[in-house]
Amino acid sequence: MSSLPLPEADGGGRYPGFRTLAQADHWDRATSAVVESRLGIPPDVRFFTPPEEAAASALFDLLLGQQDEPRVPVVNMVDARLAEEQTDGWHYDNMPRDGEAWRATLAALDSEARSRASCTFARLDPDQQAGLLRDICNLDREPWHGLPADRVWSLWTRYACTAFYSHPLAWDEIGFAGPAYPRGYKNLGVDRLDPFEVRDIRPGADPTHGADR
Amino acid sequence: MSRVRDRNESAWLLPTGPGSNLRLREDMRRHDETDEVDIVIVGCGAGGATLLQRLARAGWHAVALEAGPFWEPERDWVSDEAGSHHLYWTEPRVISGSDPVPLGSNNSGRGVGGSMVHFAGYTPRFHPSDFRTFSTDGVGADWPLDYADLRPYYEDIEAELPVAGEHWPWGDPHGYPHRPHPVSGNGELFLRGANACGITAKVGPVAIANGRFGNRPHCIYRGFCLQGCKVNAKASPLITHVPDALAHGAEIRPHSMATRICFDEHSGLATGVEYVQGGVTRFQRARMVAVAGYSIETPRLLLNSTSLRFPDGMCNDYDQVGRYLMVQGAPQTAGRFQAEVRMWKAPPPEVSTEDFYETDPAKPYKRGFSIQCVSPLPITWAEHVAAQGHWGPTLRRYMSDYPHWACLGALCEFLPLEENRVTLADETDRQGIPVARFSYSQCGNDRQLMSAAQQVMEEILTAAGAEEVITINRYAHLVGGARMAATEDAGVVDRNCRSFAVPNLLVTDGSVLPTQGSANPALTIMALAARAARVLVHGAHGGARMSAKED
Repeated sequence: MSSLPLPEADGGGRYPGFRTLAQADHWDRATSAVVESRLGIPPDVRFFTPPEEAAASALFDLLLGQQDEPRVPVVNMVDARLAEEQTDGWHYDNMPRDGEAWRATLAALDSEARSRASCTFARLDPDQQAGLLRDICNLDREPWHGLPADRVWSLWTRYACTAFYSHPLAWDEIGFAGPAYPRGYKNLGVDRLDPFEVRDIRPGADPTHGADR
Repeated sequence: MSRVRDRNESAWLLPTGPGSNLRLREDMRRHDETDEVDIVIVGCGAGGATLLQRLARAGWHAVALEAGPFWEPERDWVSDEAGSHHLYWTEPRVISGSDPVPLGSNNSGRGVGGSMVHFAGYTPRFHPSDFRTFSTDGVGADWPLDYADLRPYYEDIEAELPVAGEHWPWGDPHGYPHRPHPVSGNGELFLRGANACGITAKVGPVAIANGRFGNRPHCIYRGFCLQGCKVNAKASPLITHVPDALAHGAEIRPHSMATRICFDEHSGLATGVEYVQGGVTRFQRARMVAVAGYSIETPRLLLNSTSLRFPDGMCNDYDQVGRYLMVQGAPQTAGRFQAEVRMWKAPPPEVSTEDFYETDPAKPYKRGFSIQCVSPLPITWAEHVAAQGHWGPTLRRYMSDYPHWACLGALCEFLPLEENRVTLADETDRQGIPVARFSYSQCGNDRQLMSAAQQVMEEILTAAGAEEVITINRYAHLVGGARMAATEDAGVVDRNCRSFAVPNLLVTDGSVLPTQGSANPALTIMALAARAARVLVHGAHGGARMSAKED
C-alpha cells in the first residue's frame, strides 16, 4: 500500500510526495513497534459475528469515505479493540457497554435495512446506505431502535476515527508528520516547516466552503 | 524558601537524558504486610505522590498502593495517540444525568504519576477569590482556608516541577522560576488575536522545564505531551516526586487496587487498606490512611468501605461523600487560516488568558473562564470534526485541511452542585466490587459561561485572521466529591484534608476541592497535599497518631 485513494475534490493529493513512514528511521523503538504493527496483515475478526462484520464493514466504509482499495482495515482494528475489551470503560446509563452496544446497533442497521429494502445493510446500494445513515444522524437525541441516536452516532464515529486516523497512510493525506521522538521539531511558528514536512499545494481549499466541491 | 534540591532531589536522581532510575526501584524499601506502617496512601498521582515524598523525607514509613503500573517511559510510552490508551483509567463506570461526562481519557489516569502523566502541563494557581466565592459572589462555596494558606506551597511546587512562564498578572501576581517557552503557530495566533482584541494573553504557565533542570533535559517540542513525556521534560510526579520519595525509604506497590479501607469499631480508627494484587487479596496495616484516588475512585472506595459504624460508607454520616463533584466546561473553538499553523508541533500548552476569570458585574452570570491553547492530534481532531456532523468524503476533506487550523480551549468554572455526584451502581468490576455511577447536570450559570467563552474564542481567532470557526462542547478535569469544609455536615474533610469522622483518615487529592476556579487543578492538588503533609509532620512527629492540635 503506498497511498489511500482520495479524489482531489475530497482533499486528495494536497501534500505531494509526503510520507510519514519515510521518517520511521527517526522513531524510537517502542513507538515504531506500535505504529508498524498497523501496517501488516490485520488481526482476524474475532469479536463480530459474520453478519455483524458485514454490517460493520459497510458502515465504516461509509463513515470514512473508503470506497476503493487499498483501505485502512478499520473493521479488523475495531474488532480487535472490542475482542480485547480495549474500551474507555464508561458507558451512558441509557446505553449498554461498548461491546454490547456494537452488537445491538449493527443488528439494528440490518433490521432497518430489511424494513426498507428486504436485505441486509451491507447489501443495500450505496445511496440507500448513505440515506439510512443520514436519517440516523439527523435524529439527534431521538431514540433509534431503543437507543438514543446521538449516542449511537458518537459510538460509531469515535471508534471509526480512532482506527482510521491512527494509520500512517491517513496521516499522509492530512500532512501530519506522525511520531516525533527523539527528533522533535525545530521550526516552530506560522508557516514555518521542518525540512521533512511538505507544504499544502492547495491552501485555498477551505473545507467549510461548499464551493470547493 | 529552601533550595529546591535540598527539599526534593528528584530531578538529580534521574539519569541524564531520558529514562528512569531503575536502581532506585530495585533498591526500594519493602515493608512487610504485617508491619504497621506509619501511613498507607491509596493512589500515586498528584496528591498521593506529593504526600508520599513529603512524609518519606520526614522519616515516616510510608507505602503507596497504585492500581496501575510503575511506568518506564522509554519502554511503556509512545509518540502515538491510539497507542497511548493504556495511560487512562478504563475500568467500568456508569455516567448519567442531563449532561453526562465521558471519562476514561483526558480526565483520568492510572499508574505511578497519575493523570499528570498525560495532562497537557498547564499549572496555573487559583485566584484569591476562588477561596470565597459564596461570600463574594453568592455562588459555590467558601473554602475553610485562604489563598494565603496555600501560597507558600504553590511557590514550593512551582519550583519543584518546575513551571515556565511570563510574569503572571492575574489573581495574586507572581513570577515563575523558568522563563517562558518559545511558541508555535497556534500560540502565535492566539497572542496576535488577543492583542488585536485588547485581551491580555501570556505565555505559560506550563510545568515543562525551559533549560536543563537537574538531570532532566530540555523540551524537544515534539507535541506529544498528552501521550506521556518520554523526554522527561514535562513534569509528572513520576519524575518530580517519586524518585526523592524512594530515595528516602518510601515504598510504592504497583498493580495494587485498593478495595476497602478497614475500620476498627472499638477505637473508631482506620486500621489499614485491603487491596488486590495479581488476584490475591492482601491487607496492609497502617497507623494512618490517606486516600488519593481522585474524584471518582476516592468516593467509590469510601462508599464501598462499609462497617457497623458506617453502614452507608466511610465518612458518610452526612451524605456528603461523592457530592459536589465538578468538571470544567471546556469548549474548544478552532479557526481556519490560509497560512499553515501545524498546531501539533510543540507542546499543546502554550498561551493563556485569565482576563475573564473573575465575576464581571456587567454580565448575567457569576464567575468566569480562562482560555488556553490546545492542539488536538489527528484522532482528537477527527472527533472534533465528526462532532460537527461531518462524515464520509466531507470528513476526509476537512481532515486534509488539518495544517490550516488553530485551536483554543476554554475552562469554564462550573459550580459545585449537590446532586452532581458519585454513587454506587448495580454493576460490579472484575473484583466483584460495585462500580461508580457519576451523575452530572449543568445549571444555567454553567451554560451561560460555555456560550460566553465560545464567543470570546471566536473573537480572538477571527481577529487573528481566521476565515471560519467551529466549536465543540466538551469537559475537562474533575474535582470535588469529598470536599473540605468548615463543619462536618458540609463536607468530608477539614482544612488539613483530615476526615471529620475518622481521625486517622485523610483524603489528599482533587476530590477535596470545594470550588475549581477556571484553573487546571494539578498544581492546587499538589499544593494541598504538600500542605497536609506539613501539618501531619509538625503535628505528629514520627508518624504518631495525629493530635487534636492542628497547624
